[in-house]
Amino acid sequence: MTRFWRRAILALGLVLTSTSAFATSQGYKLRVDGLACPFCAYGIEKKLSAIKGVQRVEVDIATGIVTVTMAEGTTLDETAAKKAVKDAGFSLRGFERAQVGAPTK
Amino acid sequence: MKTLLHHWGIPVLLVSVGTAWSAPITFNTALPVHEDGWVLRGQFIYDNNSRDPSPANRDVRVSGLISVLGYGVTRDFALFGVLPYLGKRLDMDMGGQRVSRSDQGFGDLMVIGRYTAYESNALGRTFRVAPFLGVKAPTGSDNAQDGLGRLPPPVQLGSGSRDWLGGAVATYQTLDFQVDSQLSYRANREANGFRSGDVSRFDVSLQYRLWPQQLGSGVPAFLYGVLEANLVHAEKNRVGGTRDGNSGGTTLFLSPGLQYVTKKWILEAGVQIPVVQDLNGTALKNDYIFNAGFRINF
Repeated sequence: MTRFWRRAILALGLVLTSTSAFATSQGYKLRVDGLACPFCAYGIEKKLSAIKGVQRVEVDIATGIVTVTMAEGTTLDETAAKKAVKDAGFSLRGFERAQVGAPTK
Repeated sequence: MKTLLHHWGIPVLLVSVGTAWSAPITFNTALPVHEDGWVLRGQFIYDNNSRDPSPANRDVRVSGLISVLGYGVTRDFALFGVLPYLGKRLDMDMGGQRVSRSDQGFGDLMVIGRYTAYESNALGRTFRVAPFLGVKAPTGSDNAQDGLGRLPPPVQLGSGSRDWLGGAVATYQTLDFQVDSQLSYRANREANGFRSGDVSRFDVSLQYRLWPQQLGSGVPAFLYGVLEANLVHAEKNRVGGTRDGNSGGTTLFLSPGLQYVTKKWILEAGVQIPVVQDLNGTALKNDYIFNAGFRINF
């Protein structure tokens, strides 16, 4: 009986771990023009994070690429992204979908 | 004595109204405040003026904490409120003895509106031009007195007048460096029989990224070396409608400094050194202005 429960718990753990490790969220890569210092990145993150469904925003100022990870089942509307970037004081020059691996919680 | 008291020629506190972002320490920038975003700047200043060509051996020291709160009304229009808390002290020889006169408290509130009239963005760089207009309200005390009577204008915390500030600032920012340039004019008005001379300024700032030398991924913090120049021309004060020949003039400051910039906050410090002072008559000369502070994004 004890062995059974151990195996059951181990199997359940494996299932949960694999689900977490291989779950993917819809992601987007935004190319933003005008980003040139660390203090600038805050406004971009704040504005994009306010869009419904956005789970994570990562800015890379060297390349001007902002990676947006969406919650499962949600998508990022290009018009909304463009407005968020514009309201932050910058310009959206590129918008493309990208697979972004993200552990689900 | 009356003549000495009126012949100030002491530079009105050359407090910058630096606003937001990684930006010049001693003046404005054209970089944006994001829509519905806030920026708080706290700045400590110490302004020392002791080189007196007159026999009065005047020494004016001003220390202050200046709070600036910026708000992005739209992506292009930002409002800034500037409120100083000041300590002012004048020491001078009078009637064979050394006298001290001082006051401390909140000074005049200034509100500035800035509009981004032009911008050009590219990968890792931006160029912007922003005119601005401000008004200084007479919220500080302008009628403080001590045992010797009413304090002279340079020691009063407020001017008692509603003054206007206008100008334009241009900013070119890249990942490696930033250049800002500003032209401004401050029109002072009369109060209590005294009017400070109008002030014209031309400011230039270069901020160069010293560290990290190579940019990594993400949003690394930057350490900027800062070098600024401030050309300030003050017209003569008017006392009872008459120009004071011992006031006003032109000063060129060179201002080295350092800025540590992160995504959420900035720490900065610099010192304005007067390298050229061409002042009228016995106008009191400046020794230096030290300033240090922080900015927070929220």
